[in-house]
Amino acid sequence: MSTRRSASARLEGHPLTPYLFAAPVAIYLILFQFYPLVQEFYLSFTATDLLRPSDSTFVGLDNYSFLIEVGDLHKVLGVTAIYTICCVVFAVGLGLLAALLLDAPFVGRGVARALVTVPWAAPSVAVALVFTWMFNAQYGIFNHGLRALSLPFGAENWLDSPNLALPAILLTTVWQIFPFSSVVILAALQGVPQELREAAAIDGADRFNIFKTAVWPTIQPTVFMLVLFVTIWSLRRFDLIWLMTQGGPIGATNTLVIELYRQGFVYRDLGSAAAIGMIGLTVALVITVIYFKVTQAAERAQGKR
Amino acid sequence: MGTQTTHLPRIIAVLAMLGVASFPIYWMFVTSLTPSSELFATSPNMLPRFEQLGIYLEVFRTIPVATWLWNSFVVAAGTTVLSIALAILPAYALSRFRFAGIAILGFALFATQMLPEAMLVVPLYAIFGQLSLLNSLFGLILANTAFVVPVITWIIKGAIDSIPLEVEEAARVDGCSRIDIVLAIVIPLITPTLAAAAVIAFFHGWNEYVFAQTLISSEALRTASVGLASFVGELSTPIHSVMTVGVIYTLPAVVFYLFAQRYVVAGMTAGSVKG
Amino acid sequence: MPSKFVRLVLAGSTALTLFGGAGMAMAKDNITFAAAVFAEAGRGDRVREWVEEFNASQDEVSVEPVAIPFSSLANTVFTQMGGGGGPDLVRFDQTDFFAAIPSGRLLALDDLIDETAFPFLAPDRFMKVDGVRYGLLFDTTGYALLYNENLVPEPPADFETFLSVAKEQTKDGNFGYAYRATMAERAGFWQDTTNFVYGFGGRWSDDAGNLTLNSPEVVAGIAAYKAVYDAEIIPKGADAATYRRMFWEGKIAMNVDNGGVAAIFNSNAPDLPFGVAPSPFPDRAQGLIMTALVVNANTQHPEAAAKFLNWAYQPENQAGLLNAMGTNVGTVVELTDEQLAARPWLPAYEEQMEYALPQVVLGFESQTPEIQQIVLEQVLEVLQGGAEPQAAMDRAQALAERRIRR
Repeated sequence: MSTRRSASARLEGHPLTPYLFAAPVAIYLILFQFYPLVQEFYLSFTATDLLRPSDSTFVGLDNYSFLIEVGDLHKVLGVTAIYTICCVVFAVGLGLLAALLLDAPFVGRGVARALVTVPWAAPSVAVALVFTWMFNAQYGIFNHGLRALSLPFGAENWLDSPNLALPAILLTTVWQIFPFSSVVILAALQGVPQELREAAAIDGADRFNIFKTAVWPTIQPTVFMLVLFVTIWSLRRFDLIWLMTQGGPIGATNTLVIELYRQGFVYRDLGSAAAIGMIGLTVALVITVIYFKVTQAAERAQGKR
Repeated sequence: MGTQTTHLPRIIAVLAMLGVASFPIYWMFVTSLTPSSELFATSPNMLPRFEQLGIYLEVFRTIPVATWLWNSFVVAAGTTVLSIALAILPAYALSRFRFAGIAILGFALFATQMLPEAMLVVPLYAIFGQLSLLNSLFGLILANTAFVVPVITWIIKGAIDSIPLEVEEAARVDGCSRIDIVLAIVIPLITPTLAAAAVIAFFHGWNEYVFAQTLISSEALRTASVGLASFVGELSTPIHSVMTVGVIYTLPAVVFYLFAQRYVVAGMTAGSVKG
Repeated sequence: MPSKFVRLVLAGSTALTLFGGAGMAMAKDNITFAAAVFAEAGRGDRVREWVEEFNASQDEVSVEPVAIPFSSLANTVFTQMGGGGGPDLVRFDQTDFFAAIPSGRLLALDDLIDETAFPFLAPDRFMKVDGVRYGLLFDTTGYALLYNENLVPEPPADFETFLSVAKEQTKDGNFGYAYRATMAERAGFWQDTTNFVYGFGGRWSDDAGNLTLNSPEVVAGIAAYKAVYDAEIIPKGADAATYRRMFWEGKIAMNVDNGGVAAIFNSNAPDLPFGVAPSPFPDRAQGLIMTALVVNANTQHPEAAAKFLNWAYQPENQAGLLNAMGTNVGTVVELTDEQLAARPWLPAYEEQMEYALPQVVLGFESQTPEIQQIVLEQVLEVLQGGAEPQAAMDRAQALAERRIRR
């Protein structure tokens, strides 16, 4: 690390250069992200109607306490937690599997790689509509398939059942997001030095061990970064859930962002929506801080820093 | 893992995965061609009825799909160009410079990922109103870029991290300024990552819905994501039109990826290896 | 100065000028009219043509129809209105209309249109709040029982008969009835529940301004809703778009639905013989769909909007609108015999108008969405969670009272 610092110092030119480089993005973010964020922070302590966003009445912590006492906040947080964890585990896991499968050369690999991105390319509205149709209890293809396989549950009302709605939403979501993971991991796999793999193979390691010793260490930082991004994005993923269940039935798929949307745009209560937004932001910040601490500790353990 | 390509289990696994990935789109295609009277049959129609393909042309005639697709393309392409242009320099700065504030910038970039569009659309509408950016595709591009730049910056930073400093030092010795180094040396070396970033930005701009719906009010500027949602009517939904337009809407993004992936994977050196 | 940036800035500002300048003001006053119906298959084009008739009839004002997705009309328009913008004219459904009034975002119309000049239908009275008119009744329809005459020759007159007929008809992949029972269709679920509740004599609130979510009649309505659910006579989980399609494909025997849906059945399946009868409930009160044509208080062109409003309510143009919408419009329209023959369901629905009540919670109109959510979640507990109707509605009453006290 010290080598890096001094090497970079050798490259030093104009002292203002770093600031010039960072300035445009910083200004951009301040204008379009932070200024709204600060406004939202303020709004969370007020009672504000969507139709009159500039007429705010200060109410202190009232929005927060109402959410906790009457708004079933713990249930929302619980659903969000389950949703997020499952999304991350399955999307990154499947993405990893897909990337590994698509890494080795075979006939038609280019086409296969493009086909794998189809879920990601598909627009949420169309995905929501076709999956809702596929989940349809009487005519949906899933139930048809289950009945054809003579499985006992072939008449399930997927999106309508408090127990099956969240798994159905998870299935749809994971289908849509795993291509992103596979594209990123695939790119990282290209950086695995061939010599490492061959060396491990010569040593007589089986495929799993090759993976563990040669491939994994190289792609691990990418996978960890992916885990962080997918986690954070799960906290804000909206389209599919809203279009398919609107958070129902009975709150089974009611994540933080769904509740935020409902408070802000259905009840027109911008103050409560902002409060939920702040809670979500806090959760995300905590996760990020934990992530950074964990990866720093891991890298220290591996002697990289 | 490197050489055996005809492993049967591997082939089956790849086919299964491709099947899972493409089945719903296939189903969209089949549903778009299934006559209304057969949608509710007891055993489903699994194969596309190609004789109904006329609906794909019909849809272009009766619905402004071409306009929607064009607008979506402008937004997606604009987002891609603008966000990559904006992200390269800060990514370089995050990678090479160590100064007060750079860590804050890095963390701030992460923080913005946590904000849902639903939360920001109200203040953004007000800001855009003051800047006269409402109801313009350019405004939508700006909004989408704000959301995409952080991710792209981090990914590009990772790629720059893996370029040995000696390469830059040599150029420095030759008297190049930083900017020249970035333009002439760094960018060519990270082309695969830029391609991956382009894909991410393009897909985001292509599919984005919340901003497209609120910031654009005239129909001539409507994007395909909002256009598709407008089919879901108050009383009935013309399922065939929706599925047809859905299939049509998915294809360009896939084509874009087919085009870009050649750059993404070929020789992408340690994209985010050093984190 | 980094050249790349200069180029970027130039490109950016050029693009901004190009796109920004695209919407230049023209000699005509250009105003926008937002509605979800413009995107509807069939109806949408007809209503657009109707608007075009206005544009063609004079040179001063041009109305641009803007279709907004139904599910997001309220939040899109509300966000825009809140931000000082938004379309000049909007067709709001009743819940959104009542929500917009307290915030002062709707222009009072008393000065823009002479209401005594037009024979408004009875529901128009709801367009006034505290004596001030905020909207004009655009289209309205009630609910009645639509039945497939091939499957059900005689419509059931009471609830018990209805249940047994529906059970008989549920066979061979067909269903006897259909209604909404999913949160994904919150608005429609509310309409269907309200019909049952009104049909059993229940009301969501009383004249004294109290919520009556757990009155015996309301509970009876909920119990009836559950009876239908338990009888396995509906395609559970199907959304309205799907089951309406099933109806015109002959797979559903009966459906309590509004007049606009009757028009849709007719246009999609002209050969399907369906009849209209009063809903099979003890009380004839059913929900009322009414949409309001409003003027955005943010508008820069109130006179232009007024011109359009005055044109729209002329008798010949109301007739034109009725043809386009397929349902009753804001004023009384005399139909020729052949127009009536083309729309045989209209008289039955017009008769039902006498008994129709709005589906908002009277007295708590702008808080209806929150009350809706609470009530519907409890109804779902009854349908799927095995809760007892009385206990569930007691819970709803308590939660709603707590909520509105805020």
